[in-house]
Amino acid sequence: MRMIESVSSPGIDPPSSTLSARLRELADYLAAPAAGRLTEEQRALSLGIARRLVADVAARLDPAIDANALWADWLRGGVPGAERLVDHCFARAEEHRWREQSAHRNVSPAPVHPDDATTDAPGVDTALSDVDRAYLALQIADRRRFDALGNPALAVGDLDAELFRALLIDIAAWRLAEISRDTGRAAQLGDAVRALVDRQAEEPGIADAANAYHAILGDRVPQVAADAIARHNWPVLIALAAAAHRRSYGDMALSLLTAQAAALPSLLAPLQLDPMALAPLEASLVMLPSRAVADGGDDDHDGPAPSGQDGR
Amino acid sequence: MNERIIRGRIDRSGVLVSADTPLLRLQQRAGSGLGKPLALPHLARLVALAQRLHRDISRPMYTADDHSNIHALVRIAPDADGASLEISDWRTGPTIHPQIPVIADSALTRQGWTWECDQQLRVVALRAASDAPSVPAGWEGRSLSELFELQPDEDGRFPVLRALGRQSRFDGQRVQADGPAGRIAMTLTGEPQFDAAGVFVGFRGSAELAEPQAQAQAAPLPGAVLTDPAFGSLPLSDPQFGRRIDGALRGPLSRIIATAETISGQFDGPIRADYARYAGDIAHAGRHLLGLVDDLADLQNIERPGFKAAADEIDLGDLARRAVGLLGMKAEEKGIRIDAPRVDDKMPATGEFRRVLQVLLNLLGNAIRYSPENSQIWIRVDRADDRAMITVADQGQGIDADQQAVVFEKFERLGRTDSGGSGLGLYIARRLARAMEGDLTVESAPGQGARFTLSLPARD
Repeated sequence: MRMIESVSSPGIDPPSSTLSARLRELADYLAAPAAGRLTEEQRALSLGIARRLVADVAARLDPAIDANALWADWLRGGVPGAERLVDHCFARAEEHRWREQSAHRNVSPAPVHPDDATTDAPGVDTALSDVDRAYLALQIADRRRFDALGNPALAVGDLDAELFRALLIDIAAWRLAEISRDTGRAAQLGDAVRALVDRQAEEPGIADAANAYHAILGDRVPQVAADAIARHNWPVLIALAAAAHRRSYGDMALSLLTAQAAALPSLLAPLQLDPMALAPLEASLVMLPSRAVADGGDDDHDGPAPSGQDGR
Repeated sequence: MNERIIRGRIDRSGVLVSADTPLLRLQQRAGSGLGKPLALPHLARLVALAQRLHRDISRPMYTADDHSNIHALVRIAPDADGASLEISDWRTGPTIHPQIPVIADSALTRQGWTWECDQQLRVVALRAASDAPSVPAGWEGRSLSELFELQPDEDGRFPVLRALGRQSRFDGQRVQADGPAGRIAMTLTGEPQFDAAGVFVGFRGSAELAEPQAQAQAAPLPGAVLTDPAFGSLPLSDPQFGRRIDGALRGPLSRIIATAETISGQFDGPIRADYARYAGDIAHAGRHLLGLVDDLADLQNIERPGFKAAADEIDLGDLARRAVGLLGMKAEEKGIRIDAPRVDDKMPATGEFRRVLQVLLNLLGNAIRYSPENSQIWIRVDRADDRAMITVADQGQGIDADQQAVVFEKFERLGRTDSGGSGLGLYIARRLARAMEGDLTVESAPGQGARFTLSLPARD
């Protein structure tokens, strides 16, 4: 709102929400005309992630909440606490774009000849090793970050407690406005918020799974990370890097996705990777269009290489 | 990663003067060739950049022909006569339109679930659509075939297992799963997933609720009276049923038992004593179910029309000693002494060796199970006219006349509710005895123990 006040012209009072948004956008643009802007795809992905998170949290708070009505109201009036959500939504959206790109460019596997195919159930008697178990837990934690149709989402277990609490309170406030005459249910809502906040701390998130996997791998981390890069298994790479840096998964994903190629070796230094192992990572990132690279513009791989980027 | 290096050479005017086959083929597909200007725009720009900078550069390279995307790493070394190219990590992939949803909206109705598993069929994701029954708790990491009880198709095959072998898509896999209000019939569809190295990493797909008639089969109406409470819905007349039961039940059960025993044995370190005890209970229950699977397979076999046992020349004394050898440890655990026929006690008879041993193991196992600790069991062989007989007698609580009339019925456990047996053993044993032209009878009285006698045609 500060920007609106500074650029609104006399005679338009109060400004419509559309006009406010346009003026805010223009003010942002004038403040940094050379910076790349969000594409429609990035906007849509981030908005969808926010919507799925709100619906998920609302369902936990009170299954009777009409998530569609809630979201429609928030779309009209603005999503409360939007500034708290943007980092998470954008990081998840960018990670999703990256993974989708890799999935679509994967090499076609060699077909298995029907005669070679076995129809036995695999390894039912094989006990899982600790490493396999940790990897399985990481996969499960990662897949919790999708909805039923495979669209990207944020898992409640991955949110920091403050964000989760704030979101609960915002949704509860919306719900309270709906049921304001029903004091009994209002009290129930308050209880539900407190219970959910307490319970969230116990909900396993991808950070726990990443830390456990990193710890159990021990000196095998470089090899597993290199393998993850070669296989474009980006969740494992992000998880290992996040655990090594003691950063959140989302932060680490955003750091990788906004890094210039020259910055990758130092960013991934704790994983002790062979420089050549980084090549597929660099290639994959450069191919991702509309990245918010650290120099402020879109990645321009045809331009002169910054110092140290030649890979010699 | 492809470690092969593909080389090429560009002259000062940007003409490709030499190239290894993949690079040359790409140049040709782009409508050019050797001795002609480089027709790959991205690579040409990189060459121009290296020449302008007068230094080596290494960059990712992206290009495409009419049916595949290609990306690789190129190292360009400019010199006075042009530039040398070294291309590594050459990857090709089919051209796919981006932003295809992971699971197409049309593939999943609002009543379905979506799932994903790894290459070992361990489930890593399971979600319900908006109007679908909720997914069972504790699905994480379980086997797909454990979570969804696989049903064979009309040809007796399991589409998911066939697809696993071929790493291909599948549909129409009929399954039953645990819903919130009982078993539900569903149909699985799955797509194979591969990583960037082309390695199969699992399946991703949906599970849709089956038609109402399939639901009725999956979950019989409460109170509905079936002629046979256990077998009314089982395809006992199907000769492949016994074989299928192995794959569908024995594997998962074996894993449950092995895992529970691992926990119970605290192989991975100490755990709370009550948890270890629970795990022991799970293993025990698993073994019980495995025994039931064996019995069901047996039952299916012996109830088949025309079932016949082999007529081996056997010695009941020898078979009795073998049975004691197999179950002696179990008896010792309860301090039970078994008085078996001596080595020179022979009783020649005619019957199928393994089936007679199976009957004796059942009789002796029951005697051990229902005998008090530190008691005694006798096994005697005898002959009456043309019948060779072997009797197993115990000091258990005995069976009254009413119970004796039903003890050979299917699933009759005489009111016992422990997990000791399936209630099929004696039924199967008598069926086997009669299939060998013999019989199995019981004499007992409350408090007097029980005497089970197997009689078979005697042999001189």
